Amino acid sequence: MMIGGGPAGHERPARLLLVDDDSNLLVVLAEQLRDDGYDVATARDGVEAMRRLESGWPDLAIIDMMMPRLDGLSLAREIKARADLPIIVLSAIDAADSKAELLDEVAEDYVTKPYHYPELRARVNRVLRRLGDRLPGQRVVLGRALSLELHRRSATVNGTQVALTPIESRLLYALAANLGQTVSTETLLLRGWADTEDADPSYVWVSMRRLRTKLETDPNRPRHLVTVRGIGYRLEAEPT
Amino acid sequence: MSGSALRVRITIAVMAAAVLPVGAFGLLLLASGSPGAITLVLIALVVAALVGLAVGGLLVSGIVGPLRALEARLDRITAGERVEPLPALPDDELGRLAERQEELAADVARRNRQVARAVDAITAWAPADGAAALLERAAIDAREALGLIDARIDLGDPDAIEIEERVPGEPRPVSADLLSGREMAGVLVGHAPATMRWEPADQDLLELFAASVAVALRDAGLLARVAEQNARLVALDAEKDDFLRGISHNLQTPLARIRAYADQLAGEVAASGGTAPSGEPDRRPAIIAEQSERLSRMVRQLLTVSRLDSGVLHPVAEVFALAPRVRRAWEALGASEVSFELEDEAGGWLALADPDQVDQVLWALLDNAVKYGGGTAVRVRLEVAPAAGRIRLTVADDGPGVAEGDRERLFTRYARGGASDDRDGTGLGLYVGRALARANGGDLVLEGAESRSPWPGVTAASGAAFTLVLPAEAPTEG
Repeated sequence: MMIGGGPAGHERPARLLLVDDDSNLLVVLAEQLRDDGYDVATARDGVEAMRRLESGWPDLAIIDMMMPRLDGLSLAREIKARADLPIIVLSAIDAADSKAELLDEVAEDYVTKPYHYPELRARVNRVLRRLGDRLPGQRVVLGRALSLELHRRSATVNGTQVALTPIESRLLYALAANLGQTVSTETLLLRGWADTEDADPSYVWVSMRRLRTKLETDPNRPRHLVTVRGIGYRLEAEPT
Repeated sequence: MSGSALRVRITIAVMAAAVLPVGAFGLLLLASGSPGAITLVLIALVVAALVGLAVGGLLVSGIVGPLRALEARLDRITAGERVEPLPALPDDELGRLAERQEELAADVARRNRQVARAVDAITAWAPADGAAALLERAAIDAREALGLIDARIDLGDPDAIEIEERVPGEPRPVSADLLSGREMAGVLVGHAPATMRWEPADQDLLELFAASVAVALRDAGLLARVAEQNARLVALDAEKDDFLRGISHNLQTPLARIRAYADQLAGEVAASGGTAPSGEPDRRPAIIAEQSERLSRMVRQLLTVSRLDSGVLHPVAEVFALAPRVRRAWEALGASEVSFELEDEAGGWLALADPDQVDQVLWALLDNAVKYGGGTAVRVRLEVAPAAGRIRLTVADDGPGVAEGDRERLFTRYARGGASDDRDGTGLGLYVGRALARANGGDLVLEGAESRSPWPGVTAASGAAFTLVLPAEAPTEG
């Protein structure tokens, strides 16, 4: 699938729907995104956003949390109920807030206000990169002792629920979409981190090692998260 | 023991009763000078002694046997054991003794049952359920445990509560004050069956029961007050959180707008090569962006304090390199007039922590170093302690340092260093910083004057040096 931000020069510019009740911000941000080659549609509130969605689905929606009429969270839920459209939430609430946990269920990512434009753009690009990955179902069963529920950012290990961080679930998403095949460290890097996050291959190595201690019954003899030395990693299901 | 003493005494008495008259008679006989009287008297004495012994033995076993049985039974009653009813006894002193003992046994058994039930009831009370439920339960328990016909608890001044007169043949009115310490909470009143003997021990038990009700009532009152206060605190806390969140949102929204315009303006100015009135490249839009960022961080810090209070920091640990974050935090500070050095000896080790929360700590440390360093260079050094799996980040300045008396106070809330009056800042940076560091499995410490820090030159002797310690991992493939 070849969609992405304008700067990368893909087949067609990625379509973004930008929803914010702050009209000044809406104009500035839309302008900045258009300058970077995205195809941007705007809406001032949730109701207007839903109307826009009826005339065509974008590749990604950027939604402000606090809006009149239909608030950001409700809008995001409404959208997710209809289709798996990736959503980035703009919010004055930061990740430590209890409401941020609610965002987890609907948002691919979120950027706190006041946002730094390059940061927002980097996150948009990362989410768009992942659009090619498609999982077969909501729950990925990898064996008797391990299954992944990535839509809920959790895994079940020997019957116990284990919470995954956003990055861990993004890495697993990329691996699970290519089950049994080696995914390069470079690809995992692009899927897991935005390019503003200073990430290099060591980020992947350490993250995979930590994931292994979370998910494998014996992390020293992994059955599911296999290292392909010098190349990347492979997620394997246990033969049934 | 008493049995054998009694046995000896009765036997001696009977023998004496048999032997003494014979002896007296023998003496008279001897005095009359009858020939052969000695032999006769001796024989009579022996016969009398033998008869006395035999009759005494019979008498003794008739009295001591039942007495012993009664004694053994009394022992069992005292020990609280259940005893069988005695077989019918003749209507004499022994019989009456046995009868009285029978009544005593029944009384003791009844009282034991009452005490046991009362204790069961008292220990089952739950003052947390509230005073009304407790009073209702206690009245029922008083009836059941103490064998009353009815019972109720009247709260208020016991003197104002009318005490019924006893009418013979009618149920007996009983009452006891609800006394806890010197505090009189009310009265427990009820009726005992007319057939029931009401003895001082019964009254004592009733009073003990009433005192327990009073104590439980007081506990219920205290618990209710504590629960109410807790509820009020929780509500206040939630209100404060809501307020802070609201304020934060209301401040962040205009800040976002300022930031967005300033960024755009800075881009335009840079593209057109705009200059400030002084002729130098125009940094004014960039400064607006930096300062709005600074304001927004202060707002976020306030929000973090409120979360610290309610214990909901929820760090989400990620893997990241510290050096670039330090550099970015420094740039965001916009302190271009102060020189900055970063020595990265971390060997690529990655921190495992919540990056947003670490950013807050870095910002506070760098901001403090600029504010209190008196314009001296700010130096940051990164090192690892591989065995401990820790990365250590030290921020040092060459300013006046931290006075000995201020060392611990610095990490308390609203503490500010030095002459705080004329400096800006919230006094929250180090307090929040340490809490965030600890929430992430690390710590934030002030290096001492003789600190054995592994970095030569990095001690409080030459300015202030703060070290942030965080969990870390080696950058190896695996």
